[in-house]
Amino acid sequence: MKKYERIVALFLSLAGLWIMFYAWDTLKLGSIHMPDAGFLPFLCGIGLAILGIVRLLTLQWTSLRGNEGPAEKRRWHRPLLSLALMVLYGWAMETAGYITSTLIFMVAWQQIIERERWLKTMLISLLGTLAMYALFVYLLKVPVPPEFFIG
Amino acid sequence: MDIFTGLINGFDIALSGTNILFCFLGAVIGTAIGVLPGLGPAATIALLLPITYIIGSPVTAVIMMAGIFYGAMYGGSTTSILLNLPGEAASVVTCIDGYQMAKKGRAGAALGIAAIGSFVAGTVAVLGLTFFAPPLAEFALDFGPPEYFALTTLGLLLAVALSGGSIVKGLIVLVSGLLFAMVGLDPISGKIRFTFGSIGLQGGFDFVTMAMGVFGLGEILYNLESAMKTEIVTTKLGKVFPTLKDWSDSKWPIIRGSVIGFFIGIIPGGGAVISSLASYAIERKYSRHPEEFGNGAIQGVAGPESANNAASSSSFIPLLTLGIPGNAAIAMIFAALMIQGITPGPFLVAEHPDVFWGVIASMYIGNVMLLILNLPMVGLWVQMLRVPYGILAPVIVLFTTVGVYSTQNQVFDVYSMLFFAALGYGMRKLDFDPAPLPLAFVLGPLLERSLRQSLLISGGDLTIFVTRPISGTLIAVLVLLIVGQTVFFLKGRARA
Repeated sequence: MKKYERIVALFLSLAGLWIMFYAWDTLKLGSIHMPDAGFLPFLCGIGLAILGIVRLLTLQWTSLRGNEGPAEKRRWHRPLLSLALMVLYGWAMETAGYITSTLIFMVAWQQIIERERWLKTMLISLLGTLAMYALFVYLLKVPVPPEFFIG
Repeated sequence: MDIFTGLINGFDIALSGTNILFCFLGAVIGTAIGVLPGLGPAATIALLLPITYIIGSPVTAVIMMAGIFYGAMYGGSTTSILLNLPGEAASVVTCIDGYQMAKKGRAGAALGIAAIGSFVAGTVAVLGLTFFAPPLAEFALDFGPPEYFALTTLGLLLAVALSGGSIVKGLIVLVSGLLFAMVGLDPISGKIRFTFGSIGLQGGFDFVTMAMGVFGLGEILYNLESAMKTEIVTTKLGKVFPTLKDWSDSKWPIIRGSVIGFFIGIIPGGGAVISSLASYAIERKYSRHPEEFGNGAIQGVAGPESANNAASSSSFIPLLTLGIPGNAAIAMIFAALMIQGITPGPFLVAEHPDVFWGVIASMYIGNVMLLILNLPMVGLWVQMLRVPYGILAPVIVLFTTVGVYSTQNQVFDVYSMLFFAALGYGMRKLDFDPAPLPLAFVLGPLLERSLRQSLLISGGDLTIFVTRPISGTLIAVLVLLIVGQTVFFLKGRARA
């Protein structure tokens, strides 16, 4: 995990430097009498760059003292797969419509993330889709994307 | 309007059919999410923010959200006592003695004293809120840009310092929150900042989108790392109503917990977690039998549970009087008010007395509802733990996605939310506490405006922040905080 933390700290320092440059060059700092749009972003950029460097040094110092602790077992795949499904759902919602995309999303979730049996998957997906549709459309009167297949 | 007239009017509003219903809904949802591990009050309020558009009335929306917030404190103790699994961060300390009591067959007494302590403390804190908030709001009317700058800076830094985690990580989250708040049009010069040519970003990030992503979906993604399976509860509850000895042992911890919680809750960043830890430490230190702590001492349940409830109610004081949210959940309520076109702060009591007094009055009613919901119905809440996470998680995803889509009917908001969800997940994964992010996001515009206005008023003279008595005092506290934290940090390093 420390490797990722170092990458994040380095990224933050570089982002801070870029924000400082962007605020100074594009947004303009103005003067102390009349600060412009880049004034606070510039200060935040300085803060972010310094904090990133401090974090990097702290990690280095901990590493030299051998206090890193046991490496954490990473289980990124389920959250990343879920995130990918959510992105696809966002795209499909506008393309295919609410009911179709929700049904596909529920089936994909139960099969890929939860690895449920097909019967249970279909039951949960159908009931879930209908319940959410009823909740949003009839109870909360929320507009949902129209169905592509119905027109 | 004096306090008593205001309160009577508040009860008139809070006792209307709709408000009673939403207060009850808030109490039920709050207790439910308090019981369920993995979803805190901030995340739940974030998930329900789009509903405030539909509710329409600001009083009703805030009554429900306040109910969720303090209801979660009641519900959080249930799983701590029965399963040694805190349903809510503020109930972590309740596990220590609560679970030991349950193992000895006294789960009912632990749950009972937790509910009664929560009720007493909640009511004491609302009484404090009733009498403390109006004069504070009147005092805050004298605040100008320098005072607001000093106050917001102090509030944000206190939130980081008191979070208990790494200060450097907290500051990184804080600065990131300020930067996210700056995306879009600069309110003073009208320049476009950090949009990279995107039209969707010109209006800036929406708070609802950010909050639902970081807190709602971010938490879901993090929970997906481990298979969340809850054990079937087999612990026998026993008698829920405490015995005379339990009363005698618990009365002072409840009173002390209420007072500690009330004062810690007012401090930005203080909140329910710190107050429960402080209460436990005090009870243990001053107990005649400290050896009983950790082995099922009822004082170890009564004190912290009272403290976290008092803190959750008193944290409304800086929100309603100064417009400063002290923690993530209160920041969500701040956003709910802003969505309804109401700016929380010193003018709230004069301009929107219905909101101010209606919400306060609803807290008295909500506390009674929660006592009824949590004492005789505790067994019912425990059954909720049987709902599989595999069903709960996708339902929450659907709820958030459609909720965010419905705010502006554009899929761009859904993608923004997913960006924040990934950020929220990454923050949890790398042990960054996301709590300062919404605080910085909502306070960022106020901080920037007050800083730039102060410099314009003073002609660039920075002494404006120290020469005015209120801002000078706040800056002095700020300096003391920074010096104290630095000394604490250096001492810790030297010891290591």
